[in-house]
Amino acid sequence: MIAYARLLRSFILRPLRRDTVRTLLTVLSLALGVGVVVAIDLAGDAAAGSFSSSLETLLGKVDLQITATGGVDERWMGELSGLPLNISLVPVVETLATVDGIGEVELFGLDLVSGVARENGTDLSGDPDDALVVSAALARRLGVDRGDRLRLTIGDTRREFPVVALVNAKDAEFLALDIAAAQKAVKRFGRIDRVDVLMTEGENLTAVEAAIGNLLPASYTVERPGTRREENQRMLRAFRTNLRVLSFISLVVGAFLIYNTIAVSVVRRRAEIGILRALGTGRQRILWLFLGEALLLGLAGSLLGVGLGRMLAEAAVALIAQTVNALYVSSRPAPIALDLYTALAGIFAGVGVALASAWAPAREATQVFPSEAMGRGAHESAARLAWKRKLLAAVLLALAAVAAAQAGPIGGRPLLGYASALLSVASAALAAPALVLAISRFTRTAARKLAGVEGLLAVRGWTASLPRTSINVAALATAIAMMASVAIMVSSFRETVLVWLDYQLRADLYVRPAGRSGTLAPEVIPQIASTRGVEAVDVFHATEFRFRGERATLGAGDLEIVRRYGRLLFLEGDRDHILSSLRGQDRAIISEPFANRHAIATGDRITLPLGARNVEVTVAGVYYEYSSERGFVILDRSTLLRYLPAQPPTNLAIYLNPEADATAVKREIQRKTAGKRIVVAENQALRRNAVRIFDRTFAITYALEGVAIVVAVLGAASSLLALAIDRRRELAVLRFLGASAEQIRRMVLLEAGLLGLAANLLGLALGFALSLLLIYVVNKQSFGWTIQFHAPPGLLLGALGAVCLATVLAGLYPARVASRMPAIEAVHED
Amino acid sequence: MENRPRLELRRVSKVYESAGQKLEALRDVSLCLEAGTVTALLGRSGCGKTTLLNLAGAMDLPSSGEVLIDGRPTCGLTDAELTAVRRKRIGFVFQFFQLLPTLSVLENVELPLLLAGVTTAASEARNRLRWVGLEDKFQAMPHQLSGGQMQRVAIARALVHSPDILIADEPTGNLDTASGEQVLGLLADSAARFGAAVLIATHSAEAARIAQVRVRMRDGRIEEMERS
Repeated sequence: MIAYARLLRSFILRPLRRDTVRTLLTVLSLALGVGVVVAIDLAGDAAAGSFSSSLETLLGKVDLQITATGGVDERWMGELSGLPLNISLVPVVETLATVDGIGEVELFGLDLVSGVARENGTDLSGDPDDALVVSAALARRLGVDRGDRLRLTIGDTRREFPVVALVNAKDAEFLALDIAAAQKAVKRFGRIDRVDVLMTEGENLTAVEAAIGNLLPASYTVERPGTRREENQRMLRAFRTNLRVLSFISLVVGAFLIYNTIAVSVVRRRAEIGILRALGTGRQRILWLFLGEALLLGLAGSLLGVGLGRMLAEAAVALIAQTVNALYVSSRPAPIALDLYTALAGIFAGVGVALASAWAPAREATQVFPSEAMGRGAHESAARLAWKRKLLAAVLLALAAVAAAQAGPIGGRPLLGYASALLSVASAALAAPALVLAISRFTRTAARKLAGVEGLLAVRGWTASLPRTSINVAALATAIAMMASVAIMVSSFRETVLVWLDYQLRADLYVRPAGRSGTLAPEVIPQIASTRGVEAVDVFHATEFRFRGERATLGAGDLEIVRRYGRLLFLEGDRDHILSSLRGQDRAIISEPFANRHAIATGDRITLPLGARNVEVTVAGVYYEYSSERGFVILDRSTLLRYLPAQPPTNLAIYLNPEADATAVKREIQRKTAGKRIVVAENQALRRNAVRIFDRTFAITYALEGVAIVVAVLGAASSLLALAIDRRRELAVLRFLGASAEQIRRMVLLEAGLLGLAANLLGLALGFALSLLLIYVVNKQSFGWTIQFHAPPGLLLGALGAVCLATVLAGLYPARVASRMPAIEAVHED
Repeated sequence: MENRPRLELRRVSKVYESAGQKLEALRDVSLCLEAGTVTALLGRSGCGKTTLLNLAGAMDLPSSGEVLIDGRPTCGLTDAELTAVRRKRIGFVFQFFQLLPTLSVLENVELPLLLAGVTTAASEARNRLRWVGLEDKFQAMPHQLSGGQMQRVAIARALVHSPDILIADEPTGNLDTASGEQVLGLLADSAARFGAAVLIATHSAEAARIAQVRVRMRDGRIEEMERS
């Protein structure tokens, strides 16, 4: 062991110290890779971890929750109280209120507000309806205290409430009104959003669950609160898995660089390895020497990466939380918590990747015979001959990738899609030597004509170290491919959404309550319908419901108006026929993600829990939809109101006469509904907002790609430096033969440019293949969306040009080192 | 001007410093090389032969004394000027040939002219390759040649730009006897035919035999100089 440590110090550590810049570049590349993985993990946890109920901090542990589509009928409270059980029942109305300056905050309606206020010494006898309780954490943030007044927008109403009490609920931020006041504010008379059940000690949870379940209608849901949190986590699973996979790109790029560093290390020390072997050092020890080098680099990179990840997570959490809010469910990011498990996982990932990528070159080192004083030229020459074998392997892996892409999801996840992506990356890496040789062959004449002798030397020189050049190309190409594929995927998605918006948003004006989760007062409908210029009003009702254990949105509208004015797109079937068949019938149309998620097709019958009844409806058609992964089930309004007559409207789509001016009608509606907090948006504004949300959602993916490119460019700098150091004898000979320092510099920069060119070509081809995988396999299997392929040529060309430029810039330092190398020592090294 | 020596070393010394230690590689060496002559530097390893070759080839500068190439001192020249001197006036032949493995034989020979920006490099290179007897190897790659052939390519490369001085460091050190003799014949011929001043550092008695001037070195000094 001591002998090994000594050998490691003199054989590995000293050269690492000598090549400080290169060592630092490798460590930094790996650190960035590990950092991104840790950051996405931490930020994902923080963004998803805030679903736990704020109320639990106030009420204590809630054992069961009772919910129903359209709300729980209040009369069941009496029935439940009559059960011979030792339980407390807490009816809850839940909504979001908008607070000036800070945005939306959870607002609960509870019948314990009076109690809380009394405990705080507040007399509510004067005006109990207004009594507002504020959690201490929120009060601190708002700077309000007992006795102050707070202005809130709830649904379409805006008014002031007196703060009667502050309650300590750790760091939870929420508001609470008396339940009657909350029902009035959200216009849910006679209905409550849920009933929280708290058991006293000694009660059996299963028995309580069974007793309540037996009492309530079958369409009601009785669940343990953990289920909802787990459901939220499950809902985010696909999103987080895809983000996690993207975060591993930088680490994959880092793996290529570790491979390269160890390969260079082995090639440069073949003679020394030969001497060590001749002196009696065994193969195993040689193997462990180079694995030791990888371990040291991996440890240094991982430790640095974990710290870096903690910092990057701060930036990432905001982006991820925006996406979660936009696409899934309202949440508030929890604080970022770097625990030992995450730190160790990051370190294991970094060290594991380092060791795995070093394995092949380290093993190659053990094949050096003691007698071997094999020069690099002969070794490289042998390696050059392997390109045909590698190309064949690349073809076989590509075929395997195609086969894997055809398979369906496993456990709802596109695991074979990911496998196909990895096989594609491996295939591209193996095809790199053939591409490098081909580029060298085809650019030979042009390079000499355009760039003179430096061009000739650059084109030939970069094939001199074919295995390492190929690895550099593969590493940079992987990063470029990821960038290109995600750019194509996002662009395709964006184009698809734009086209879809054009079909979906056909109305001239849209109305919604100012508060996010509120409803509209029914009296505004005739007011709006009678406005001059209005031709038709589609009244839409949306509410959350549960289907096969998962949440989705149940919607209802006037589908005859949609048929007449809209252009809803269906996967198959005649639009007019489908929409006409819904009126007054137990028939529904469903969105594509809902159909894919639950494997439902046109003609299937599904059961919907509507109020106290389970209603079986026939699926009349599946329509394209891109606003929610959870999915929609849409009924005709007449059908919904038959089962849930009190269901308030949530949105209006207004169609105008062709000669009406949308802005003027909007102003008139605003005038007529003054006093109601409603938002009237014109078609274009709504579209712009949708696109803005879309772009914000994908900001994180661009950020991840950016890091992968930085890692690859750092790697390119490190590799070019290694190549320059490794070819010092050739560079010295050139100096003897009359090459100026400037010519050497230009030659290395041209090689950097060639590296960028080859990586761009390979990266584009691989990126195209990966984009097909992302669009038609990963996205489809993860989210259920059909996306039309659309490549953004301007964006791709710009990005690829930037990568080429960055690669050339990355060559500046290696070029400087190469031009300043002492020629005399180098030429006599043999 | 006609009789001016191609290379002249006047009381040249070279001192290297490493870790605070001074090592005197050359001490007070004076030497003159005429056009068309072969000079052999003889002596044990470490006696200063290679240091002298580097100074003579404008790859290094003396610590004291003067190195004059075609009457012009190298001291005070910038890196770019030293490069220009090498391009025009110096040719190098190395013990291990030092051909660039990714260039063909013809391209290797063209290289000094290409680096100097000469556009007719290919025809000059072909001429030199014919002269060394490798007219059938223009497109061959270095690894396809024998050691002797590689050294002949190296000689063609060293002479392609018609240098005033040809410097050869152990040119036969890595060759069998027959190939060595062939290479020595070419070096002698290059002095006679192209008028180059040839300076060979060698351990070989055969190499010494072709030289008109034999300089024996020891511990950085010229111990003995013999003319024939």
